Amino acid sequence: MSFFGFEQTNDLEAEKRRFLESGLKGARQEDVAVYTWGEDSYDGLGDALQERGDELNDETFGGTGQIGKDFDFSTTALPEDVRPQIHREEPTRAGIPSQELEPQQQRPGASSRPVHSLESIWDDKSPFSVLPRTNGSHRAAEQRPSASHAFSPFTGQTQDSHAGAGQTTSQPLHLGGVHSQGVRTLEEIEAEMRQAFAAQRNQNISPSQPAQARVSQGRGTPQLQQRYAPQPEAPTPPPRMHPHAQSPRFHQYQQQEQIQLLEQQRQRQIAEIRAQERRQQQQLQLLELQEQLRVEEYERERDRERQRHIRATQQAQQLQQAQQLQQTQYIQQRQPSGRLTPSVAELQQRRYGHQSPANVQAQPDAPFQQSMQYLPRDIQMQQRLLAEMAQAEFLTSMQGSASPALYNTSNEVEEDREQQETLRAEAMRKIMEAERMEEKRRRKLEKIRYMSRYNDLMTQSDKDFITRIQVSQLVTQDPYTDDFYAQVYGAVMRSRMGVSVPDPVLKFGSVGGVGLGVSQVKGGRRPSAMQRMEAQVERIVNNARLREKEKTSLNSLQGALGKTAGRSYKAAPRQLLQVDANGATASPTLSHAAAHSHISKADAKTEGTRADAAAEAAKMGRQALGGTATGPARREPLTQRETLVKLEMLYDLVLELEQQRRDQPPDEEVEATAAWEKHFEETVEEIWDALQVMVPLDTSDPHPFISLITPIKGKRLLPRVTRHFSSEQSLTLLTLLVACFSQLDVVVNSYLLDILTDSQERRDVEMQTQAFLGSVMQSILPIGATASLRLVSGMLGVFLERNEIEVIARTRPGIALLTLFLSRVEVINQSMANATDPSELPAPEDLEQWQLMFEHFFELITPHLPYLFPSVRQAINSGGIPVTEIPDMDTIDQPVWQFLATLSLNSSLEQQQVLVTSLRDRVLDNVASASKAWSISDEETRKTRLSNVNIFLHALGLDSSQIAM
Amino acid sequence: MDPSSGIQEPFDLIRLSLSERVFVKLRGDRELTGILHAYDGHMNLILSDVEETIMIVEQVEGAPEGQSTVNIAKRKMNMLFVRGDGVILVSPPSRT
Repeated sequence: MSFFGFEQTNDLEAEKRRFLESGLKGARQEDVAVYTWGEDSYDGLGDALQERGDELNDETFGGTGQIGKDFDFSTTALPEDVRPQIHREEPTRAGIPSQELEPQQQRPGASSRPVHSLESIWDDKSPFSVLPRTNGSHRAAEQRPSASHAFSPFTGQTQDSHAGAGQTTSQPLHLGGVHSQGVRTLEEIEAEMRQAFAAQRNQNISPSQPAQARVSQGRGTPQLQQRYAPQPEAPTPPPRMHPHAQSPRFHQYQQQEQIQLLEQQRQRQIAEIRAQERRQQQQLQLLELQEQLRVEEYERERDRERQRHIRATQQAQQLQQAQQLQQTQYIQQRQPSGRLTPSVAELQQRRYGHQSPANVQAQPDAPFQQSMQYLPRDIQMQQRLLAEMAQAEFLTSMQGSASPALYNTSNEVEEDREQQETLRAEAMRKIMEAERMEEKRRRKLEKIRYMSRYNDLMTQSDKDFITRIQVSQLVTQDPYTDDFYAQVYGAVMRSRMGVSVPDPVLKFGSVGGVGLGVSQVKGGRRPSAMQRMEAQVERIVNNARLREKEKTSLNSLQGALGKTAGRSYKAAPRQLLQVDANGATASPTLSHAAAHSHISKADAKTEGTRADAAAEAAKMGRQALGGTATGPARREPLTQRETLVKLEMLYDLVLELEQQRRDQPPDEEVEATAAWEKHFEETVEEIWDALQVMVPLDTSDPHPFISLITPIKGKRLLPRVTRHFSSEQSLTLLTLLVACFSQLDVVVNSYLLDILTDSQERRDVEMQTQAFLGSVMQSILPIGATASLRLVSGMLGVFLERNEIEVIARTRPGIALLTLFLSRVEVINQSMANATDPSELPAPEDLEQWQLMFEHFFELITPHLPYLFPSVRQAINSGGIPVTEIPDMDTIDQPVWQFLATLSLNSSLEQQQVLVTSLRDRVLDNVASASKAWSISDEETRKTRLSNVNIFLHALGLDSSQIAM
Repeated sequence: MDPSSGIQEPFDLIRLSLSERVFVKLRGDRELTGILHAYDGHMNLILSDVEETIMIVEQVEGAPEGQSTVNIAKRKMNMLFVRGDGVILVSPPSRT
């Protein structure tokens, strides 16, 4: 800090230095080797110094805060003892005591040391330190802004002027007169080197500091800027410290406003300072230009040697600067989001632009031109400098300590260059990497800041209020039904996985509940959130109940003192259409059913009084029997629309039934269970009546029940209701179905399936057939599978009596039904053979009856046997396509082969022979086509075809392999 | 028994056609036939096995007024959601 005051007290010192300098002059001129720094003889210990004790420098020499006083040039010089101390220090540090006389040699080492101590040392020893006045004034100028707060364009400006002086003119021009050049240049060099290290090191560590980039863009002597540049940062808080982002807890809006005010104020200040700086900068430029002119004269008289040396160092420095300029400019480009950076860059560019564009251009080559005669040596110097710096950088960054041995390579210029290149590349890479990291960090901070903008705008009660509203929308009267599909899906999933999880419905007494959908077994936050919600909902519901109570108690007084305001959010939009929904059901999904339930009511009205739905339906049936109600009378079959209306009603009943099943009270509540059972049975009865199964067979064609199962949804309804029916009811249903089988749409329209040409109708019939087999047949299968022999023969009797067997047997449903009967008999026969208990045996007369019935059936079916195959029928209808070429013939024929197998199992030997005779062609065809490779494309078809034949042949005790082709 | 007694509002008629094939006329000269699976108060529909018929009327250049050709484009879809605002008419398909 004291170096600013040297000029007043340091005359003796300066004299001494000057003397020594002049003494050395000759030597230097003659022998370059005198500059031992950077050469073999230089042990590099100076570089080792750079790492230690830096942090104490401020303590030793005072922090920047104290700088202000040093600019007071009117004060007396610093005490003399400071300098000696430094003097003493220097040799020991450098390890070369004699080098006190060769300050430049120590510079590299010293340069890496903190600026203040270095400067003090250096200036102290410099022969030109006697003339630091202008330097001092510069400092003052530089520090003013830094002390105030802003980034310092002054520094940049002074640098520019320095650079201009040092580089564009043949003799470096400086403000302070002849000697200031020396001082400045050395300072520059030293700071330059410091920058070389510090910039790269810092950029590696925290390269994102916009100050760095900004500083190093300052072209001339960035080191000065660098020294002060970080300070401008201080008033502008980093993103983290930004008031808005700093603390997420601003409970009062006032506080925020204050902060915003402050922010605005601060920005205004910054703007003002910038403007001021610009003005000052212009003034300074003028001043400097004048001074430069003046100084030029001085400079010419200056010591040539000195100048040469300086120039050499300058060149080195310029070269490096150029490099750094590239780097920093690159950095600058990549660093767009720094708060102040853009403006600073702009400022500097502007300064560049109008102040000394020539400087920029002249910078790299001017010194070379001007010192042509010294060029070889200059280059050498420069190279050494660069090499050394590269070394130093390498050592500091890689090892953290200097290794003197490495300095021996300083002569190997090429190697050094390469090394430097790699170092620079490395540095660049690091810089960029750090850049990216910083950018990321900044973005993150920005995002956090952005997100936390509105933190704590809402109070807890606000949040609770909103949660209440949200939750109140979720609560429904019937949580299960409202969440029906999710609930059913969840139940299916749970049963599939075999885990039993309690009903995922929150219920609040009888008030309502919330359907929670498919419970996700995930753990973590979710369960606790659920519990929280549960608690909250419960609270809300209880509160609502309390309010309700209060309201009812207040109801007596309502209107006495005027209207009380209700809660607005609960108000639903005004209903425009007031449709009378008669019959309020608890379940919302059944509300529609309620609307339809009046179908029966309307009927009841026409009928007059009615006891209950069952009785009414019974009456309906009686009415259907005919107006006279005596004996069966024919009436028109149900129209399509009647059928659909009845089906909707049936579906409503079924849904209600299924809802009732879910509402089954626990067994311990006897009364409730009894009531529930009664109601349940009533509903089942209602459905039974609505199905009109008991309507006499000849009432209409098709029978009402057949009409009901004509639509696909009617077919699908059947399995849902039959499981609630008693076995008697089921049997009746089966009998009706068997009796009216030929009336079924799937039988009537089955001819369409025998046509190969595709059409919408055919597809519809196909779908209906699938639905029939899947739903209707499935629902009667349990009855058929448990039927006794007597029942089966009775069924077959009805079937043969009421239907044309050759037509029915040509349909898939018919084949399926016949297979059901015959296979049941076969099962009975087998159990008969195994049965030990005579009670299990069917009565002999039943057996006899069955035999009669079967023989009758066999006689009827035999002539049509070949035409049972859909493939055969399709081949006939298509006209010309051979049976074996019918697409999917194996698949569609399979049920027929199965039927024939059951038929042959029940047949006597003669009957079997008849079977074989009539089916020989089919069997041979199939076996032949299966064994001939050309007729069947793939192995699978061949297998299916053979296995189809084998189904039948095995029943006869034969196999397809026995057939010789 | 009066089958119309079950009909209270227009939507009840549509309800009868659930899981049945319906004919739907849409804005923009489009028609659909498909099996109705679901509908709502906006007449949004879910249909399966749909065939869409699009009428494209092309006015022939220079031809006299009223002389335009109608091109019919058809396409089929397995499942279709029909937005209700385009629905003009829903009816059971005409039966012979």
